[in-house]
Amino acid sequence: MTLKKLGLLPLAGLALVMLQAGTATEALAAPCPAITVASDQGIAGAYPQQFELAEFEKLANCTLTFSENPSIGKLNGMIVGNTSLPPLAERLPDEPLVVAPYDSIGKYGGVFDMISNNTEAGTSDLLSVRHVNLVRFSDDLTTIVPNIAKGWEWNDDFTQLTFFLRKGHKWSDGAPFTADDIVFWYHSLNMDKNIFEKPKSFMLAGGKPWKVEALDPQTVRFTTEVPYPGLLSHFASHYAQAFQPKHFLGQFHPDINPDADKVAKAAGFESGYEMLLFYYGSSDWTDVPSPMLRDPSKLPKLPANIQPSLESFITVSDTTEGRHYVANPYFFMVDTAGNQLPYIDEQDEVYINENEVRILKAINGEFDYKYQSLTLPDAPILMDNQEKGGYTIELIPPISSSVIGINVTSADEEKRKVFSNIKFRQAMTLAMNRDEINEVAYYGLGKPVQYTGFSPVPEFVDPKWENYLIKYDPAQAKSLLDEIGVVDKDGDGFRDLLNGSKLVVNIQYATQGIPGTVVELIAQHWNDVGIKTIFKEVTPDEYRSAQSANELDVMMWTTSQPLAIHLGNNDLFLPPFNTYFSMTNGLLWKQYIDSNGENGLKPPQFVNDLKDGINELQAAVAGTPESNAAVNKLVSNMAENLLFFGIILAPGPVYHRNALKNFPTFKTASYEFYRTYPYRGPQWYLDE
Amino acid sequence: MLRFGQFVITRFFLAIVTLLTVSFIVFTLMEMVPANCAERYLSYKSFQGGQISAEDIAAEERRLGLDKPYVIRWASWVGNVFFKGDFGDSCILRVSINQLLGQKFLISLGLCLTALILAYSIAIPAGIMSASSSNPYLNNSIRFVSYLGLAMPNFLLALMIMLLSTVLFGDSLTGLFSKEFRDAAWSWARVRDFMSRAWLPVFILGWSATAFALQTVRALMADENGKLYVTAARARGLSGRQLLMRYPARHALAPIINSLGFDLNRVFNELPIVALILVLTESGALLIEALARSNDQQLAGAIIFLLTASIVTLNFITDILLALIDPRIWKSIMGGG
Repeated sequence: MTLKKLGLLPLAGLALVMLQAGTATEALAAPCPAITVASDQGIAGAYPQQFELAEFEKLANCTLTFSENPSIGKLNGMIVGNTSLPPLAERLPDEPLVVAPYDSIGKYGGVFDMISNNTEAGTSDLLSVRHVNLVRFSDDLTTIVPNIAKGWEWNDDFTQLTFFLRKGHKWSDGAPFTADDIVFWYHSLNMDKNIFEKPKSFMLAGGKPWKVEALDPQTVRFTTEVPYPGLLSHFASHYAQAFQPKHFLGQFHPDINPDADKVAKAAGFESGYEMLLFYYGSSDWTDVPSPMLRDPSKLPKLPANIQPSLESFITVSDTTEGRHYVANPYFFMVDTAGNQLPYIDEQDEVYINENEVRILKAINGEFDYKYQSLTLPDAPILMDNQEKGGYTIELIPPISSSVIGINVTSADEEKRKVFSNIKFRQAMTLAMNRDEINEVAYYGLGKPVQYTGFSPVPEFVDPKWENYLIKYDPAQAKSLLDEIGVVDKDGDGFRDLLNGSKLVVNIQYATQGIPGTVVELIAQHWNDVGIKTIFKEVTPDEYRSAQSANELDVMMWTTSQPLAIHLGNNDLFLPPFNTYFSMTNGLLWKQYIDSNGENGLKPPQFVNDLKDGINELQAAVAGTPESNAAVNKLVSNMAENLLFFGIILAPGPVYHRNALKNFPTFKTASYEFYRTYPYRGPQWYLDE
Repeated sequence: MLRFGQFVITRFFLAIVTLLTVSFIVFTLMEMVPANCAERYLSYKSFQGGQISAEDIAAEERRLGLDKPYVIRWASWVGNVFFKGDFGDSCILRVSINQLLGQKFLISLGLCLTALILAYSIAIPAGIMSASSSNPYLNNSIRFVSYLGLAMPNFLLALMIMLLSTVLFGDSLTGLFSKEFRDAAWSWARVRDFMSRAWLPVFILGWSATAFALQTVRALMADENGKLYVTAARARGLSGRQLLMRYPARHALAPIINSLGFDLNRVFNELPIVALILVLTESGALLIEALARSNDQQLAGAIIFLLTASIVTLNFITDILLALIDPRIWKSIMGGG
């Protein structure tokens, strides 16, 4: 169906591009080489796979001429509120970002079909295709490269980060984008109590707001009270784009425009704030309902259907069934042949929340790309139909995987005596037969791992920690249990608590956090060494409410983060060692710390060491000996104390249609580097 | 006539009480589930990868007014519905429910009513035929098809048809509109597009409804057929269709008209599962979302309220109609003679 519809557009586009390329060659003495990642002709700039315009022209000794998507005028017409387009030269920044495509210079045209679960669910692998931010992680997942900002500069103690913007950069409605838009986003939106009752924790450093100031239209400075070297990687990996259009949203903000309320009343709102929130939605997520979904009856009186953006695609329709997008005519990237990106004309998103239907549509090739919501158990059927459906499945490792933990501060005192004993936890991890779990639940495709808090574990860390006590050894487990007095006292075949009463380990799990077969096997393994274990499936909500009430014996969920994220986030190393929506442990330690020792339990020394470790890591520059030493300390501490047991790191399927080109093999299938952002959605193209 | 007026008013009053009670039960049941809409909303976000704390949830609860007792929330909700016709905002989708449900509920109601009409237009003649004919082939094949309809879950039927269509035609037959018409305004072309897709849910819902109605009609007819007045009519020389239509069928069909509201409810209950599988964007699928996935009290309350209102209205109308036709009905309730 899609094939038929898309057949004509790319051909027309190609013909035009060829025509333009032809005239350009005659006019210029030194045309630029259209290099790609696959064939870079020895041209390498300061950052991988991309150049600043001047840098590229100098390296290749050439002048780049620009060309545009032949349908861009038609697409612009679909953006309600946009006026007719000025020529391309006036739409691109003076200093556009020059992008080397992975395999080939693309063709304009086509509709990129995608699915998600709902307006705000299961969308982030799609949001990240059109996402932009000040900086980006390159696809090696370690190098931070320019994006919206063309460069940055730190002061010596990492309390001041200055970004340099592109001159002539424009919002999707053609208005200039400047440093003021960043100040507006931070101080007038995120720090305004009328919009956010309390600032989000990731908008603070050491619990204090940052200071954001515009030094000139192209220079913006972030100042924090404490050293915060992780701020740069925050912008590279976070969903919150560090800018909002002041010229547009500012109209409704009473601090910016004294007539804001008047403007809002004319458009049918009570107040400026109400109208501001109608657009902005009190969230930096880019999938919040737009005015088109919120209340279409208000649209005729609005200046635009959605606020302008810097992303590669602009939302032009938003209903309960799905969304539709068109290419941003003011997008700031060009390829090495001078073609303005994105190549693809339109994106179409449909909401599908049933796995069977999702799989059926995948097999039919009804969408172009997906990996969020696709799981390993779906992989066999997807792989069987690859050829027929014209798509490819790649099995890519994730970052976080299912982890299980024993409640060291259990509310039950007798259980706590046993659970808090490190030898008990050593016995429990040794009793798990991870190879069997891998075979049965993960088709043998995964890898047994111990939990260290870091995933992937950095190369400089001794590999022994990733393998710490994961070898199946029931005999050793039994002797450890004997040693600490957890033995069978009443002769029923199962070991008992120290006071002689029965020990039953009760697992409540939700399949969103861990597959049922994995829990069944672990329970079997623990029963085999004489620890009576029973399990029950619950909903994620029930699980969370039991966990936060400290009612669980065993916690489980998927967790782990890469080093880059720990630089700006300490959740995994401070009690309760993760957030409400994930798995926690040591809740009574947290209570003790929060109440200054009045309630709860005093944490042991290793908990304080973890806190010191993460503070040292965050104050150091990644890659330095101090930083690596802090990582080593955290890894060994986390592994040795076994607050959580790692199980299996298993890959997940990444789906893309074969017609989608310049699509690289992902390094990880995970959220942490903001999904697809490192793999450069704007240079993907459709070749049908 | 005054008494009849009283009867109508009593019925009307009872209908309102039913509506209020149902909406209160829905609110109460949803209150008992752990986690509220604020937590579910943020859990969506957390599943996307955002880091969210317990304080964030508390702030969200205050923003949505979920920190108030649920009786107060229910009372203000019901007040707005009755006095302003405003269902408020969906807490998880963050849009006005009136906007959201607008035509969606009508589409659902349309699908269900069409399925019912289809069911009865097949079941009544087939049931009468089956009860009065002695042809074993006809009887057994009608019975077979109808048992299949009763025994086979709708979702399975839907999945089988989709699988078949995927294998044969490469189209999974999902959705109520094709892509071109999804966001378009209503037009003749859009109606045609809608019809070309809506037949499938109507067929699926209709099959089991037909099976159920067929069994009912058949049993009622078989009951009536043996009664003395039929034998008497036959003795007076009536036979064939004339006999069937004038005597047993008339009596057998009255209870069916009476149970229309009940049937509508049964078909609507089956709609959400079918809608989820077929990715129909109507209110049945939204109801499942609101009840089971997002714990969206306002939205679930609104859909159930509208459904209850439709059933109550239907019952009210059939009650009045039957009472007009047969005065014994209201006299037996209101007393007097």
